[in-house]
Amino acid sequence: MIELLTGILATAVLAGGVLVLGAMGEVLAERSGVFNLGVEGLMALGAVSGIVAVAHGAPAWLGLGVAAFVAAVFGAVFAAATVILGANQTLCGLALTVAGSGLAAAAGRPYAGQPARAMFEAVSVPWLSAVPVLGRAVFTQNPVVYVVWIAAPLALHWLLFRTRWGISLRAVGEDPAAADAAGVRVVAVRMAAVVGGAALAGAGGGFLTLAYVPSWSDGIVGGRGWIVIALVIFGGFRPVNVALGAFGFGVITALGFVGQARDWAVPPAFLSMLPYLATVACMIGLRRRGAPQALGNPYNKEER
Amino acid sequence: MRLRRVASVGVWGIIVSRVASVVVALGIGGVAFALCGYDVGRLAGDVVSASFGNLFGIEDLGLLWSPLMLTGLAAAVALRIGLWNIGGEGQFYAGAIAATLVGLHVQAPLWVALGLMAVAGFAGGALWIAVPAVARAFWAVDEIITTLLLNFVAALLVGYLCTGPMRDPHQAVTAASAHIPYEIPPLLDDLHWGFAVSVALVGVVALLLGRSVWGYEVRVAGSNGRAAFYAGMPVRVRLMQVFLLSGGLAGVAGMLEVAGTVHRLQGGISNNFGYLGIMVAALAGASPLGVLPASLLLAVLLNAGIVLQSYGVSSYAVLALTGLVLFCAAVGERLAYLRMRPAA
Repeated sequence: MIELLTGILATAVLAGGVLVLGAMGEVLAERSGVFNLGVEGLMALGAVSGIVAVAHGAPAWLGLGVAAFVAAVFGAVFAAATVILGANQTLCGLALTVAGSGLAAAAGRPYAGQPARAMFEAVSVPWLSAVPVLGRAVFTQNPVVYVVWIAAPLALHWLLFRTRWGISLRAVGEDPAAADAAGVRVVAVRMAAVVGGAALAGAGGGFLTLAYVPSWSDGIVGGRGWIVIALVIFGGFRPVNVALGAFGFGVITALGFVGQARDWAVPPAFLSMLPYLATVACMIGLRRRGAPQALGNPYNKEER
Repeated sequence: MRLRRVASVGVWGIIVSRVASVVVALGIGGVAFALCGYDVGRLAGDVVSASFGNLFGIEDLGLLWSPLMLTGLAAAVALRIGLWNIGGEGQFYAGAIAATLVGLHVQAPLWVALGLMAVAGFAGGALWIAVPAVARAFWAVDEIITTLLLNFVAALLVGYLCTGPMRDPHQAVTAASAHIPYEIPPLLDDLHWGFAVSVALVGVVALLLGRSVWGYEVRVAGSNGRAAFYAGMPVRVRLMQVFLLSGGLAGVAGMLEVAGTVHRLQGGISNNFGYLGIMVAALAGASPLGVLPASLLLAVLLNAGIVLQSYGVSSYAVLALTGLVLFCAAVGERLAYLRMRPAA
């Protein structure tokens, strides 16, 4: 029983961790009023860039940086189209998902199936790793896990709710005309939020291939980008709640793995369906509140 | 002179912007291929001659065109009432599963059996979208995510069925169902009647949306739901009906694919047709008739992917290209509203 619990928790920390960075990025973008449906594509680009970087000799942390940078570049193109030109966010987001996934798969061809040349190694935290269950599940993971689970959500929470810039960002997402009148540079804030969010999604992809799976294969992102978008909605657009939701999904994913490993009577395909079905169920079952008022609407001074 | 936005653009403005976007997207793709060291002129020539150069090419193109027509039509119908059905891929699978089950277990004359398979395909697709449809109509649950996530569930289900309960007992093909005894007869050598059925369905849906009271109510609900509600139109009912029709059309595409082209249920049978259908609908501006040229364009791109594979280019490069086309179309649509006007 202890063994089972430890296994589930340890897997949940990694499987859920893949979702957290992307989800933080989407909270950032959506709080500023931009609905980015391209997370899936950005994560794929990040995942493949990380692998390519370490294959050419970069250490894992640099691979993660490259993953974030590449996704940020694509995020900037998306932001230029949606924020500056005011193009349809749904269409551009879908385009980003398709183009990103396709490009990542094409670029990843030569690296598919090979183990990552470098990855984030597990480190046991002195003393804490001796704690029963939690010690082996949480305190013998790679160090990025703590950044993902603790630093990122708290930092984003602080940024959004405790800084001037956060107030501006949320104002832009609620009522861009009023924010504009109050002297906030709407376009600049939204650009920054979307590009920053894209970088986080890319880093999430990098975490997938450099800390969790450690290799690249076609379709490895497998809909996580969409689960991220759902998490943001039923996490109420609040970083800490969204991270808690991601942990729940980590546990559900882990249950599927454990079930396969222990030969439960349920066919593995059905266990693999769990995260998707659970997301649909949560979308329907949980009350959704707190969506920014201007989410999805482009802002143009002349069209007010 | 300065750049101004105009309030509305005619049909021709949209068409010009679409064509220009596609040209720009293909141009960017061409430059990318050239930078990777390919002879773009020869690639383009090969793609055109492989698609249009001979009858076989045209027939193969038709085999890609018809499913794209239907999945595109499915997404377009939903867009008409202002909803995104991103789940065409899953509904395609569900239709294929239902049609295969009927085809393998029903004994009937060919046309009756095919008719039953088509009904099953429609029902399978409609069933697959039923939960997102109810959730959207009654609890305003975002349909983009619910429809999309069920794609993954459907793909896993097909994988399970083809390696488990529905596995071919003769093991002629691995990870596939048994051969279905009913085949759609050919229209031309390779091209089966499914093509004609797809075109006919496009016509029927175009008439339904454009010339019936039902279609009028759908369009009003799509452009202003509140106005439709206060005019006494049954918005929720229309929403459900449109979604079920949308899922059903994608399901029929799945049925035609198993009954006409593949003759078995197998993993990957949807060939991204469901996802590409969203692009068809977007390029067509949700117009049912616009689906015809838009799906032809994507069929040519898919065909190009097959040609490019012979050059060692990953077929995913074409997927990336379709994403670029969609992106350029979204930007182009916005730019179409900009005009140079004398400063006021």
